[in-house]
Amino acid sequence: MSTSLAAKNEISSAVAGETRAGKYLTFQLGQEEFGVRVLKVREIMGVQEITRVPQTPPHVKGVINLRGKVVPVIDLRLKFALPAADYTQRTCIIVTQIMGESGLILMGAIVDGVCEVVNLAAADIEDTPDFGEETAGQYLLGMAKVKGKVKILLDIDKVLCTQDLDQLNAIVK
Amino acid sequence: MAAYDGLRQQVEELALRLVLTGPESSGARIVETWSRALQTLQEEAVREGASALAEAARGVLRAMQISDPASALQDGIARLQQALETRAADPAETSLAQDPELLADFVLESREHLASLESQLLVLERDPCDSEALNAIFRSFHTIKGLAGFLGFREIQVVAHEVETVLDQARNLKFQVTPAAIDVILSSADYLGRWLNYLSPAGQNAEMHAPSLDPELLAQIGLIPSLAERAGRIEAKQAPDSQRNELANLAAAVETVEIEELTPSPEERKAEVKRRGETMTVKVNTAKLDYLVDMAGELVIAETLVRHDPELVKVKNARLQRNLAQLTRITAELQKTAMAMRLVSIGPLFRKMTRLVRDLSRQFGKPIDIQTEGDEIELDRNIVEELADPLMHMVRNAVDHGIEPLELRKSLGKPGTAKVLLKAQHQAGQVVIELSDDGRGLDRHKILARGLEKGLVAAGSVLSDSQIDELIFKPGFSTAAQITNVSGRGVGLDVVRRHIEKLRGRIEIRSQTGQGTTFLLKLPLTLAIIDGLVVGVGSERYIVPLFAVRGIFRPKEETIWTVQQRAEMALIRGSLVPVIRLYQRFGVPPHSEDPQKGVLILAEVESQKFCLLVDEVIGKHEVVIKSLGETFAKVAGIAGGAILGDGRVGLILDLDKLFRDKGNGARR
Repeated sequence: MSTSLAAKNEISSAVAGETRAGKYLTFQLGQEEFGVRVLKVREIMGVQEITRVPQTPPHVKGVINLRGKVVPVIDLRLKFALPAADYTQRTCIIVTQIMGESGLILMGAIVDGVCEVVNLAAADIEDTPDFGEETAGQYLLGMAKVKGKVKILLDIDKVLCTQDLDQLNAIVK
Repeated sequence: MAAYDGLRQQVEELALRLVLTGPESSGARIVETWSRALQTLQEEAVREGASALAEAARGVLRAMQISDPASALQDGIARLQQALETRAADPAETSLAQDPELLADFVLESREHLASLESQLLVLERDPCDSEALNAIFRSFHTIKGLAGFLGFREIQVVAHEVETVLDQARNLKFQVTPAAIDVILSSADYLGRWLNYLSPAGQNAEMHAPSLDPELLAQIGLIPSLAERAGRIEAKQAPDSQRNELANLAAAVETVEIEELTPSPEERKAEVKRRGETMTVKVNTAKLDYLVDMAGELVIAETLVRHDPELVKVKNARLQRNLAQLTRITAELQKTAMAMRLVSIGPLFRKMTRLVRDLSRQFGKPIDIQTEGDEIELDRNIVEELADPLMHMVRNAVDHGIEPLELRKSLGKPGTAKVLLKAQHQAGQVVIELSDDGRGLDRHKILARGLEKGLVAAGSVLSDSQIDELIFKPGFSTAAQITNVSGRGVGLDVVRRHIEKLRGRIEIRSQTGQGTTFLLKLPLTLAIIDGLVVGVGSERYIVPLFAVRGIFRPKEETIWTVQQRAEMALIRGSLVPVIRLYQRFGVPPHSEDPQKGVLILAEVESQKFCLLVDEVIGKHEVVIKSLGETFAKVAGIAGGAILGDGRVGLILDLDKLFRDKGNGARR
């Protein structure tokens, strides 16, 4: 038992530590390119019919049927206060598995389009520059430079965190 | 670990010896017979490093020298056991029992054994010669003993072992099982049950402390054979020509054997079915089951999409049509089977009630014969669990209030043994559970008087019989003149009704004065599926639970009335009912804001009626309820989601919440 505990500690310290290197799925949102850890992504699908849930903030688009499972979907444009855009052929829902309050949950994020999977070394990643309080620095893992372009790495657990949603709920009410 | 177990065994044996033989009269002899055993124990404890135990043993030896040896020994054994406990609490001590999975399995399996042996005991009580039942009970105790020994639960093992020993004697026809013996065996089963409650990781009725080994219980178990013998001797004395009796018995036995050979009795057949069922059971993780149900539902949707595909519809090929029809049949069957896997039989619950009636019948001195029917009827596991409390309450009510005292029954010319029937059956897609007694029935005069007194009925109003019967479900109603510890605390049938309604069921009552009372519980088969009315508001689809729907109306000009320019009321069947415009509550653009172009749905929640204004009614649909997850846990008015026939997600309305906070809708 003690060995497994130690192993667990190792894993969590590895996650918490600065080992941000690894595979990232990059996607587009407006003019910017973002990345999320491939490990967090369960599936990428085209936009399908979304059932709106009443009394939720605008960025919560509603729920979809993912092979019999009801999965909440969030519009990342709206979440990041970008102007809303019509959904096109390129628009995708990235279904991610994130840590909820009561265990792992599935959550969909609508993006303008997915780009590629990149393998980032620790050297490619820089800490997020301090933008002041305005930008949502808490959502970011860091910035990556790939072929002269900057990609913003998201901590998807924090982006799609439901607690945040509850707060928004309270404000709406 | 093994050595430690050895120590424990020694202490237990000492304790047993003390209990069974009792301390001998002369003090000197006690010291002589016991000090040797204690000394060995102490030495061994020192060798094994169990210092607390060694210390305790030394203390006992010393105490025996200086004070009254008999009492010193009594205290001393208790202290030894305590010392063992402290050792057990030692965190450094690792045992199999600390593996939560093993422990949970043990608790689960033992509970099953306890439940089955309890019902078998009641069978045995009716027919003490039923060796099949006796063997089953023996096996159950044996298994529990084995499991407990494996995990190191000494107390459980000791008690189970004692009972097993006694049962073995009964099996070998050393004595016949008497009701008194069954009492003792039942109470040892209860003791084991308490242990399991203590051990279960997240039990609802978890006990805080480990039940201590009760020496009296062990003594009682040990005394069973002698008790039975005595009873047997008295019986023999009372029957002077016992030999002739015996002959008659033999003849009867031969007769029954013949009958049995011709047609296996229903019980036997049931037992056979059950035995087969036991060997074929597999424990499955519910998450896997849910996944299977999800997939089956998706298969049905995919199948529908394929079948209605315009390209495919164009093909006029008999073979293809036949194959498609076959596919449809199979997918439907698959979905049905997947859903049915969540169901469990109601039998164990009924057996619990049988036991309860037996205990109550003793307690009140009212001889009662309880029959159960439809044990094999299956219901959603959650429903069966939730049903235990209300059913228990109703059974208590029936025994306490319904059935008359023995003398009264005799003076009324009724049979002395009262009858209680517990029956489950399928009826129109529901399960109906019927609890009937042949007691005194409802006293409507008393109920009405009580209703007036409590202000539940307006003075001078004329009520029909069924309206009066309804009164007993009102909160705060209790007619029992005398409050017993069983029923009549005023938290009676209103709580029962709320429970049943929470399970989306209904409770009905039928009673005839002097003839008895029948309660009918109408329950859905499962909580996972709901019959819903699919309604449309704008482009959105919502599902209204059908069990709450009382009517659907198209409003006319004179139907809707505004109260103070704010609230709206609808005049339906001569009564005014508040109206909720769903598009307003949910901030959804409707097809039309004119109520006359919409549809009013009359719903009833907790006996309060209200109307829901929607654009259109699309149809009735049986849907599998899915949770929306923690993300939407705080959204008011939505109970969950469901996959509709076209693969879209529909939201199931929470009518109760919708109605209750009708004032503060989102107006976005």
